[in-house]
Amino acid sequence: MGGSETSPMTNGRMFARILGASLKERRSRVSIAFFSIMIGAAVITALSCVYFDISTKMSRELRAYGANLFIGPKAESAARVLDARDVAEALSLLPPKNLIGASPYLYGVVRLDLGSAVLAGVDFAGLRRLSPYWQVDGRWIVVDFDGRSCMIGKALAKKMELKAGDAVTVTKSETGFHRKLVIKGVVETGQAEDERIFVNLALAGEILGQPGKVNHAMASVVSEGIDIDAVAAGVGARVAAVDARPIRRISYSEGRILEKIKGLMALIALIVLMVTTLCVMTTLIAIVAERTREIGLMKAIGADDRGIAVQFLSEALVISLAGIAAGLVAGFGLAQVLGQAVFGSAISFRAAALPATVVLSLLASVIAVALPLKLAVRVVPAQVLKED
Amino acid sequence: MFLSMVKQSFMRGRRRKVLAVATIILASSLITALMNLSIGVGDKMAKEMKSYGANITVVPNSENISLDIDGVDFNPLKGRVFLDEKDLPRIKDIFWHNNIVGFAPFLKVAVEAAGADGPVSLLGTRFDRPLSLSEDEEFRIGVKAINPFWQVRGRWPDDGDPEGVLAGAALARRLHLDVGSRLTLSMPGRARPLTVAVRGILHTGGMEESYLVAPLPLVQGLAALPGKVQSVSVSALTVPEDRLSRRTRGGSDALDALEYDLWYCTAYVSAIAHQIEEVIPNSAVRPIWQVAASEGTVINKLQLLMLVVTVAVFIASGLGISSLMITTIMERSREIGLMKALGASEAEVQFLFLAESVIVGGIGGLLGCAAGGVLSQVIGLSIFGSTVGFHFIAVPVSVVVSVLIALAGSLMPARLISRLHPAEVLHGRK
Repeated sequence: MGGSETSPMTNGRMFARILGASLKERRSRVSIAFFSIMIGAAVITALSCVYFDISTKMSRELRAYGANLFIGPKAESAARVLDARDVAEALSLLPPKNLIGASPYLYGVVRLDLGSAVLAGVDFAGLRRLSPYWQVDGRWIVVDFDGRSCMIGKALAKKMELKAGDAVTVTKSETGFHRKLVIKGVVETGQAEDERIFVNLALAGEILGQPGKVNHAMASVVSEGIDIDAVAAGVGARVAAVDARPIRRISYSEGRILEKIKGLMALIALIVLMVTTLCVMTTLIAIVAERTREIGLMKAIGADDRGIAVQFLSEALVISLAGIAAGLVAGFGLAQVLGQAVFGSAISFRAAALPATVVLSLLASVIAVALPLKLAVRVVPAQVLKED
Repeated sequence: MFLSMVKQSFMRGRRRKVLAVATIILASSLITALMNLSIGVGDKMAKEMKSYGANITVVPNSENISLDIDGVDFNPLKGRVFLDEKDLPRIKDIFWHNNIVGFAPFLKVAVEAAGADGPVSLLGTRFDRPLSLSEDEEFRIGVKAINPFWQVRGRWPDDGDPEGVLAGAALARRLHLDVGSRLTLSMPGRARPLTVAVRGILHTGGMEESYLVAPLPLVQGLAALPGKVQSVSVSALTVPEDRLSRRTRGGSDALDALEYDLWYCTAYVSAIAHQIEEVIPNSAVRPIWQVAASEGTVINKLQLLMLVVTVAVFIASGLGISSLMITTIMERSREIGLMKALGASEAEVQFLFLAESVIVGGIGGLLGCAAGGVLSQVIGLSIFGSTVGFHFIAVPVSVVVSVLIALAGSLMPARLISRLHPAEVLHGRK
């Protein structure tokens, strides 16, 4: 009837007018639809952003476990010490963005006031980032060139009757070293560190008569996005004197834990995604279903089913696109709130979140409109208008 | 009259009500599932974190300071103190015995190996040995349970194997050992030399790679230390440290009686270590902070993440329910107009709507709870391979929240709609 006989020009203008009027006149319904699509899109965007970023974030958190890369002398060589320059070169080969912390170690046996102990020379600034799990009573040593301070393991402190703030005399007869060092802090780790005394690497070199030498080094490297085995092999190949290998206990477990967390987030994101989509759909269905009368009226004055469908769907499209656009912005904001609250850092926007949100939300709204519409266009106008 | 009106509304507008209930089911199932998960995720992840190895170490309480550097002992002759192996099953008698995932005893001695240029460290341990306990028949002690990252090429020796050993990968390279190689071990001044067979090559990425690892009885026999062990590694499920447990660092004297009870009865790593120290005579028990402290950090992060996601989803589903309630009420303006024309007061109209939303919210909340319970099990099974405990706190929370959200969502439109002028609505202007 009407649709096919009028010129396309007037038809198009009529269509635009109906669309505009429908959006304007039914402002409250339109805003509800817009609002619910926006919330849905925002939740989907936020969760997909978090999901795509979770490995990087958790990988950094898991560095709490400390060193995952060991750098030592080549296994084939009988040498027990390395040149500090070789170690520095090896550490400089690690990707700087992924390197959390690293420290060289130089060990030797020294005499204290009440007996012998193992002395370790370290780089305290690096060690602090390398081993965040150290339980320190007192303070860390902060200055590299501090030649008068030391930190001491808890078990050793107990047996030597020392505490933070005391002074201890360190003696090494072979090098003639004899000096009182102030104990800055007492360390507890539950492992070998509890029975050791720690000083700056330079001081340890002087005490042990091995300046510029180290036994080995440990590094903490964020393994997400790089192949730690390949990095280790590359270091071993580039610096002839050293051998680098991942610490299996840490890297193996980290892989497992990350996989679990990623799986968990994926499932949660998927379920939230589905449920939110369904939630948005029910709201849209309710909004379209209440317009059965309107559809009856349109049919009574001569609209065909196709025209009605096109009009309703384009209405839905306009609202959804606006809702999705607002939802993307709101969702990215929500992701930042999540990231700041949990990880204290921003969550980067991944392009992959975009298609997920747009496609899902659009699909949901089109289905949500098409379903009730299919029922509605079948109505007999007289029946609906009489309100039965 | 009121009841029959509510009933009528449910019967006639069935489609509308089904939609409302369905939305609330969806939202509340999501809230329930996420709540369950965020409560349970700590325990589940704590179990996964056990792959980092033991978090408690038991050593003899001695005055000696070890002078061990990189596995080489610079003071091997000093008189050593040992733990008795027969005391070890008592670890499963402590208050938190169910939290003990596994433990493994160790005894390390230096031996001379024929063909080696220096002393070789021989580490005696249990691999996978059943421990007969009355209530927990399944419990097995040994490194397989506490160090899942140990990898063996070849096969693991049996715990009773009189000559089977594992050779650490680094040691195997140094001495050119492979699966099936034999070598003779002797201890200066001790029992007769012993010939052992390498059953497998051990990869750990740690110190053990330069050791020979053998069943405990073999090492005890060789070193003439029957029934003795040097240290025990214990893997226990713990809760993250907090302010209370940190105050016990200086000793448990820092707490008053009530705090002490609370600390003792919480699965802090320090409390479990303290309890093990109580049952093993002459021992010093220390948490391995690398595992214990880091685990706490990571689990706290995860719990926070789950909590924040739950809250976000919570708010989003609340808004979703509200917007649906608004639509379902707004579309009934004609009906309200009629009711008012027949003499219903504003309060009565509002009350009708609110009663309806309470019913819808209640039904939806309950069904959603059940669906959410199932949902959280699905997630638990597919991620952690075990069910997530259903926390009954989630039931009232989810039902109350659903009802409250439905009410909140209805409040505004109900007030708007009850103020409408009957003639206007019936005429169809609004």
